[in-house]
Order: sequence, then structure tokens, then C-alpha cells
Amino acid sequence: MDSLITAAARALATGDPLGALKRVALRDDPPALALRGIAMAQLGDFARAKVLLKNATRAFGPKEAVARARCVVAEAEIALVSRDLSFPAKALDAALATLEKHRDWVNAAHARNLEVRRLLLVGRLDGAERALADIDPAPLPPASRAAYELAVAGIAIRRLRTKAARAALARAGQAAREANIPALAAEVESASLVLETPAARLIAQGEARPLLLEEVEALLASQALVVDACRHVLRGEGTVVSLETRPVLFALARALAEAWPGDVPRGTLVARAFRAKHADESHRARLRVEIGRLRAELATLAEVRATKRGFALAPRAGEVVVLAPPVEGQHAAVLALLADGEAWSSSALAIALGASPRTVQRALEALAASDQVRSFGLGRARRWMTPPVPAFPTILLLPGPLPGD
Amino acid sequence: MKYSQAEILREYGPFPGADNVHGVTFDGEHVWFASGDKLNAFDPATGETVRAIDVAAHAGTAFDGRHLYQIAEDRIQKIDPKTGRVLSTIPAPGAGGDSGLTWAEGTLWVGQHRGRKIHQIDPETGAILRTIESNRVVTGVTWIDGELWHGTWEDDASEVRRVDPATGKVLETLEMPEGIGVSGLESDGGDRLFCGGGKSGKVRVVKKPR
Repeated sequence: MDSLITAAARALATGDPLGALKRVALRDDPPALALRGIAMAQLGDFARAKVLLKNATRAFGPKEAVARARCVVAEAEIALVSRDLSFPAKALDAALATLEKHRDWVNAAHARNLEVRRLLLVGRLDGAERALADIDPAPLPPASRAAYELAVAGIAIRRLRTKAARAALARAGQAAREANIPALAAEVESASLVLETPAARLIAQGEARPLLLEEVEALLASQALVVDACRHVLRGEGTVVSLETRPVLFALARALAEAWPGDVPRGTLVARAFRAKHADESHRARLRVEIGRLRAELATLAEVRATKRGFALAPRAGEVVVLAPPVEGQHAAVLALLADGEAWSSSALAIALGASPRTVQRALEALAASDQVRSFGLGRARRWMTPPVPAFPTILLLPGPLPGD
Repeated sequence: MKYSQAEILREYGPFPGADNVHGVTFDGEHVWFASGDKLNAFDPATGETVRAIDVAAHAGTAFDGRHLYQIAEDRIQKIDPKTGRVLSTIPAPGAGGDSGLTWAEGTLWVGQHRGRKIHQIDPETGAILRTIESNRVVTGVTWIDGELWHGTWEDDASEVRRVDPATGKVLETLEMPEGIGVSGLESDGGDRLFCGGGKSGKVRVVKKPR
């Protein structure tokens, strides 16, 4: 490395991007372009940072494969932090292979970590889990280790493994403090709040109370028959019956579960399931048909018994409870589907809800305006999910892109 | 051109408090190396750090028999090793793109990293007296018994090479093992070369071929 590049890199490493820029602002050689790119990224100008890093990548010579690969990784991180998923995963893969071939283990692990975060962001939990298994966090510098542990926690939370999530968050916090980056420590702390904030409401025998994620996990492991209004499924005795695409059946199941062990009058069921004010003869006929369908779906978990005034649930074992989102508002159904942590397209949501794409679109826009959902991607590739996702530090932990160090 | 594998005789470091080795020089007794914000001296017999001077030290280091010269940003500082004071500064010929530095016969020689050049300059004014072109990135530079040597380091490939000071033609090449790079370069006056190892934080001794 040359003298000013060393000086600029030292400035960057001590959190002084302006000092770095001052030293290399007028230089267009590849290491200077890369440093300027990283400094701009740290200053929040992602668009300019991307251009500079792209130029640096192109300008490094054929003998500087590692420097080039590090620039690609930095570019990928900027794309990820700015939620731009158009970044080609292939380029990141190739950069990872180069870094491994040249035994740059730290930056290779950083690249893998980015891949895990990308998979989490697009809702591919299985893929993220597999990719995570390839990372050995032990030799990572503290900042990268914190990011890794956040990804572990993110997956554990999505998978409702709160003990594992808590442990990962504790390790992330420790690593963030070692890294001595206050912004990173703050991110870990806010991610940890997810475990202390009610994640759902429990409705049992006519009473509702908030549940922490931990309690949700315990509930799902218990004998109870859970009518899960967060994910629109019925759970019990290790079986899961999905009613995601059957909103009428789900509404009936929920009404019955809320009243358990009592029964629900036919009129109430008609009103809840069909949104009709008065039950006429045709509604009653339709209700009989839908109850028949619900019986078939529920067969392994519970019976649906006819009573004098309506119907009641009779579980095979344990009690019946409803697990509902902490807040049920106008667009609760959309939120319920998004609560599974996967990334949904609006058309998939429309199909699942039996609503028109336009209605779903409006609901998503309203939810986005109040920060309850987040989207990424553009056009047909646009996907929606619910925050918070405690897996993505939004600060940059960029690799050093310089050759010869 | 003679071509051989570099033979590493010994490694020093990494040294506490210095994670990078940029320039390297030898004052006849101690090896000095630049580590960013310090010039450090160690005893080559024991490897023990003997002292450090707090001074900006971003690239090449040299010794003229009395003073240390140290590149920092786009300047060359002349330093009194006894007091650690910067006595004067001159502009570096590569305007900050400078890497290696050595003293020979009353002038300074400066490697310009990606400029792939070696400049001979006036140590009083910084004026360029002559320039030699290399075909590789230039890291450390040193003169040994009338021979001009320089280091080159591009990713995993690094060499120590002797070049013709008149034409820049490569006369002899020592290839460093894969993954080991040469940042600074200095001879001990005999047949040992001290090589700075950049981010590895090490100073290595390479056997100079006879």
C-alpha cells in the first residue's frame, strides 16, 4: 500500500470517513476508488458508493483478485443494507470462492454472512439455515461475529426457538461490545426487545392476555389445541392444519375456539363467517356445508358437535385456545399472513385471503405507511414482510478492499 | 535473469501495539519499522522491542547514518532518532502514492507504489533527480553494495527483485512463498534482507543470494 492510502485506511478504521476522503478525494487509482466508496457508504451516500466500488472493481488488475472480490462483497453489503435485492447473488458467490481460494477467511466469512442475511431477507429460512451452518464464527473479528449471531437469533426467532435466540443475542451483545461500535450494540439491544415485547394474545375461556414469544413457544409445545390466528393454522398434538387459503373455515374455527368449552349460536357463526347481519335459510344451509368441511379438516384434532342452538368444539385432548396477533386492526388478516416471517408477494396474499389484488395492495400501503410492514424489490419481484427482523445490522461492517495488506 | 525461491531465515513479531508493518530500515544495531502512528525499533538478535517514536509512519522508512526518514501521507519527514523530533519535511515525489524509501550515497530513493516507479530525489528539497520504471507495483526499496533491490506485492504474489538502476531491467528475482508479501525492504549490510510483512505484523529475514 502507498502512504496516503495507508493514512486514509487508518482514518476509516477509526471511524473518520471524512478524514479518509480528504486524503484520497482527488485520486482515481483503484485502491483510492475503493476507499472513497467505503467512506461514501459510511456517510450514507449508497448510490455514489456503489458507483465508486464498481469502478474500483473494474480497475484492479488481474493480479489483484482478492482486492476485487472484497469490493464486490462491500457492494453486496451496501445493496443489502439499502434493501436492494437486485444485486446478483452469483457475483457474491464468485467473490466468496476467490476469497476462500486466497485464504482470506475473515472476508470469506463476511461474504457468507451477507448471503445468510440476503436469504433471511427474502424469507428463505431453510436456505439461510443451511448457509449459516457453513460459517465458523470463532475466527471472526467481533463486529462480524455480532452480525453472525444476529442472523442466528433472527432464524431462531422465526422458528420460535426462544432459548436459542436468547443465547445468540447474548453472544451478539458481547461481540458488539468487544467491537466497540455503539451503533452495533444498540442494534443488538433493539433486536433483543423482541423477546421482551408481547408477540401475541392468548384468548382462552373468554379472557385475553398478552403472551411473550417464550410463552407462545411453550403453548405450542403443550397439549392444547391452538387456533393460531397469527398464521391461520390449527395446531395440536404435533399436527398442523393450515387454513391459510380457507378464510371462512378459519373464521368458524376461531369463533368456536373463543367460546370453548361453550357453544356458539348459528346466527353468530353466520355473522362471523359470512359477515351477514341476519341468518336466513340459505345462510343456514351454507353454514351446514362449511361446518362439514371444517369437521373434515379437524378430524384428527377435535370434533365439531351440534348443540341445540349451534355448534361446539370437543378436542381429543387438552383445552382449546386462540392465539391472536397482539393488535388486530383493519388489516389484521394481511398482518396475520405476514407474521410467518416469509416474504410474500401481494398477489400471493390476495390468493391466500380471497381478496382482490387491489384490496391487498391498499392494505399493504396503509400498513407500510404506519411502519407495520416493509417491502423490498420492485415491480413483480416486490415482496412484503413484517418487521422487526433482528437479523440485519443496518450499519455497514464493510471488508477492507485494499490489495497488498 | 536469475530466478529463485526466497529463503526465509527468521520471523519477528507480530509486535504488541503494532498491527501493520509498512517501512523497514536498519541503523546498524536495531531494525526500525513503521506501523502507522509509530516508528518502532527492535533488536534483531533477540526480537525484543527496544523503543518507539510517536510519529505518523504510513509507508517507507530509511536511515542515513544519523537521521531516520519516514514517509507520512504525502511528505517525507526527517527525524532525529535520539529525540524523536521531526527536523524537517520535504514533499514526497509520488504525492502520497509513495511506498518504499532508502538512503544511498547522499540521495533518497523512493518507490512509487502503483506508479511502478522508483525516484531518486534530493534529500534537502525533494526535487526529482531521476526516475526508473518498473513493471510491477513497487513496495520496499533498498540499495545493497551498489545493487538496487525492490519488493513487489500484488495480492498473493510477492517478489524481491534486483533491478538495473540505469534501465529498470529486472536482473534477479526471489519469489516469496504464496500468501507472504513484502511491504518494506532493508539490508543488514551483509547477506540478510529484512522484509516488512504488511498486515501480518511481521518482519521476516530473507537470505540474500551471493
